[in-house]
Amino acid sequence: MIDELKKEIEGVKHSFLKEIEQLQSPENFSALKERYLSRKKGVISSLLLRLKEFAPAEKPQAGQAINVFKAFIETTLAGVEEKLTGSRGGAETWHDHSLPASALPIGRFHLIASIKQQIEDLFLNLGYEIALGPEVELADFNFTKLNIPEHHPARDEQDTFFLEGHDELLLRTHTSPMQVRYMLAHKPPFKIISPGKAFRKDDPDATHSPCFHQVEGLLVDRGIHFSHLKGTLEAFCRSFYGPDIVLRFRPGYFPFTEPSAEVDISCFLCSGGRSDCRICKGSGWLEILGSGMVHPQVLRNCGIDPDEYSGFAFGMGIERVAMVKYGVPDLRLLYENDLRLLGQFG
Amino acid sequence: MKINVAYLKKFAAFDLEGADLKELLASIGLETAETLQVDGQTVLEIEITPNRPDWLSHYGVAREIAAKNSHIRFQPMAVDDVVLTANEKGFAIYIENDADCWRYSGVIVRDVQVGESDLAVQKLLVSFGLRPINNIVDISNLVMMTCGQPLHIFDLERLQGKQIRVRRARKNENIRLLDGRDVALDENFLLIADALRPLALAGIMGGLDSGITAKTRHIFIESACFDPLVIRRASHLLGFKTDASYRFERGMDVAATIPAIKMALLMLGQKKAPFYFQDVYGQPLPTTVVPLAKDYPGRLTGIAIEAETSAAILQRLGFKLQDEGSRWLVHVPSYRVDISSKQDLVEEIIRIHGYEHLQSQMPLAANPLLRIDRERETIQSLKNQLVDVGFNEVINYVFQSPEENALFDPCSQSLSLKNPLGKDFSMMKNSLLAGLLKNTALNANQDLERIALFEIGNAFGLSGGEIHEKKRLAISVFGLQQKKDWRCRELAFDFSYFKSVLVMLGKRLRLEFAFKKHAHQAFVDSCCFAIEIDGRRCGLCGEAKPEFCRYYKLDKPVFAAEIDVPALLREVKENRFQMWKRFPTVRRDFTFLMAKTISYENLRACVERLRPEVLENFELTDVFQGSSIPADMVSFSMAFTYRSGDRTLTGDEVNGIHQEFIKQLVEQLHLIQR
Repeated sequence: MIDELKKEIEGVKHSFLKEIEQLQSPENFSALKERYLSRKKGVISSLLLRLKEFAPAEKPQAGQAINVFKAFIETTLAGVEEKLTGSRGGAETWHDHSLPASALPIGRFHLIASIKQQIEDLFLNLGYEIALGPEVELADFNFTKLNIPEHHPARDEQDTFFLEGHDELLLRTHTSPMQVRYMLAHKPPFKIISPGKAFRKDDPDATHSPCFHQVEGLLVDRGIHFSHLKGTLEAFCRSFYGPDIVLRFRPGYFPFTEPSAEVDISCFLCSGGRSDCRICKGSGWLEILGSGMVHPQVLRNCGIDPDEYSGFAFGMGIERVAMVKYGVPDLRLLYENDLRLLGQFG
Repeated sequence: MKINVAYLKKFAAFDLEGADLKELLASIGLETAETLQVDGQTVLEIEITPNRPDWLSHYGVAREIAAKNSHIRFQPMAVDDVVLTANEKGFAIYIENDADCWRYSGVIVRDVQVGESDLAVQKLLVSFGLRPINNIVDISNLVMMTCGQPLHIFDLERLQGKQIRVRRARKNENIRLLDGRDVALDENFLLIADALRPLALAGIMGGLDSGITAKTRHIFIESACFDPLVIRRASHLLGFKTDASYRFERGMDVAATIPAIKMALLMLGQKKAPFYFQDVYGQPLPTTVVPLAKDYPGRLTGIAIEAETSAAILQRLGFKLQDEGSRWLVHVPSYRVDISSKQDLVEEIIRIHGYEHLQSQMPLAANPLLRIDRERETIQSLKNQLVDVGFNEVINYVFQSPEENALFDPCSQSLSLKNPLGKDFSMMKNSLLAGLLKNTALNANQDLERIALFEIGNAFGLSGGEIHEKKRLAISVFGLQQKKDWRCRELAFDFSYFKSVLVMLGKRLRLEFAFKKHAHQAFVDSCCFAIEIDGRRCGLCGEAKPEFCRYYKLDKPVFAAEIDVPALLREVKENRFQMWKRFPTVRRDFTFLMAKTISYENLRACVERLRPEVLENFELTDVFQGSSIPADMVSFSMAFTYRSGDRTLTGDEVNGIHQEFIKQLVEQLHLIQR
């Protein structure tokens, strides 16, 4: 008996929900409400009328089942009515589509991460692979294999963080040790970039940070020459900074490249035309890259015959790009993670 | 290195000024950091790279300018007329080990007058950034700034035993240096000594006792060349550098000792032969000879360079060429300690020829196999997902304070820096969470109400002496999930929302995250979970402990998670197509009361266990507590969706299955049907 009732309620509920779904206008709503909740002829009333057919022991359970269903109908209908007549209930439908939009949250990538991604994407398009190395690095890979032996004056130029109890380790001072790791593990030809954090013991100021980001590039194959380096960097700089950018190579020194070159780009803001240019300060040039042909000793240290293969390498600082391309005046701001800065980029 | 432009022009007669001169120097590889005006003289502060000690003098720079411009000649001071023969006997120079001191030249000059230098000399020294001391010391500085060779001048009468000994110091020896500091010596230090005691730290600084004073009458001038490594080690041990050590540790010209002495004698006005002269050069260094194929410069630079052009450039730079047909044997001048390979020579050629001649060419080299970087794609998709739902990426330093490491985990062994920038940056971080809380606090102080952050970075640890460096993804929320406005009510961040974000991240990678009750120091006991995939842990989440929040003065709860990125990436699989079920679904709802002692997780597990084969999905549609239900119960409403893969289920069939299923559920969990 009770099961029959429940089954019936389920059936009624099903058709009720269907009707609700198909409901179009407030007029139809009143009729629907009448049909279910009318005291005289309503569906619920007729269910309640059947209560007397139940045995006394089953009566309370049956009554509860009907009441639960009645409450369900009432709340559902109240909800539907609100929707049909506007949230404040009753009065005429009022629309003002000029009301302000609600603010949905917008997230951003960190400026450094988004610059890194742009650079990665460009080199991926040129067929480079991304190779990532550890931040805690072997001194051997960070210096010695890169042709910076112990007691070499070039080690002075990179104030290094060392780790307690691990004399052979340090925080990498550049992303270049990834060159070593990759060359030791792979046979040429290859071309990779290695983005990541690097560390030098500099007190933070407007242009120094003890933790910063670099992107390192390396290509090794037979017959690679200095003009290939220039072509590659030109392609990158024109995509990244603008199609009219001119590159200037200057002699430079890095222990792990020979010949080496500092690379400047023409100022993308003033092209050298303005003495008060806020970016190039009137020089017309911006220093953005260090590069060169991989030093034969570095190739040898990594098991590659420098008489058979040659290659080029380059490196750039991402924070420098943030300053030059996006006008961030002080490096420290990039590590405060103030959403007022982060919200402007990425 | 300070270059006095007028003085420089004495050795290379060029007529460039200002920006043009800077441009010329830059094209050679000499970067001008600053242009100064010192007492009416133009001085350029030039950055000298560590490979070019020969540039640490006016001669070095003049030589390069002359090499760059074929019409300019390098004109060193004429010192050939200075006579160097020994008149006096009874004095001697001994070098104990040729490996430490490659060459030692010395002269004795008698009857000098110590006084002030000429004003012109004083003015010159000031322009080099040096302090005039007296005419004798000033000469040694002037010689060094002119030709690069550091000299040291002793008061001859302070020398005992009529001898100079170049030897290693012995343990327990001491010396008081010219600047007054006392140094305890050992065998790491190379000394200039007399018969009895140390006189000077070789290549670094003289001793106070043998220095020039107003009373000095006779002098001994030292012009030597030391092993760069020996000087560098000693300077490193002392913790300071001098103008001399800076040069010696980079490598000085072994052929420069005698011309430098001659220059000093000329400046002293010493026309006649000195009283004593000796040049100890036990193992003359061989000239470096590098074979260079004539077409190699073109091959390495990728541009056409005529053999004659290469030869002319090398010769202008002081290299001597021996023609062997298709190649040269290139003899490297002794002052170019940086040249040892054919690549070095090509750099010289292209540097002087001009980097502007380089062409732009794209290398055709390619990776033999282009691989798609799945790991990067996966991480990028997680980042995109987070940014899309309003999370901001932050980047922090990898080091933090010991307190911050302890807040996350006081027990774990942390990796510390030997030479940190300060205590606040002395530990490698064991978790990214402290950084996120710090960033949250900074932004909360700016009255930001919704702070949702994430960071991808490395966390470090030690176990059994091994260092772990692991990539982590950390996420945190603080404040309001939604601000109140005219259509939305205010909603604070809570764990349920945060968990939804985590589940969404899992779904992004088609992974099912399970949240297992866990205990961890960083999280509140009642709200700390391990994130698992098929029973394998890949992260932690929960509500940050009040102590953690208090440390950063955060007054509202922070919900945070830290995910082990490699562990997560290991779970990501490529999907294969699966046909979906095409038959219609049937939904049945069920509302019931359940004891509060039973968690939803228990309920879920029970549903999973009893799950009828055709039950496709179930959802929790409502949770309710209130006066109408017993205080120890909670009301749940659930929707169950049934679907078969091979037929349309009839209403009766589903009712049967559903009721049997509900009956068991009710029995097992003692539910009260409503």
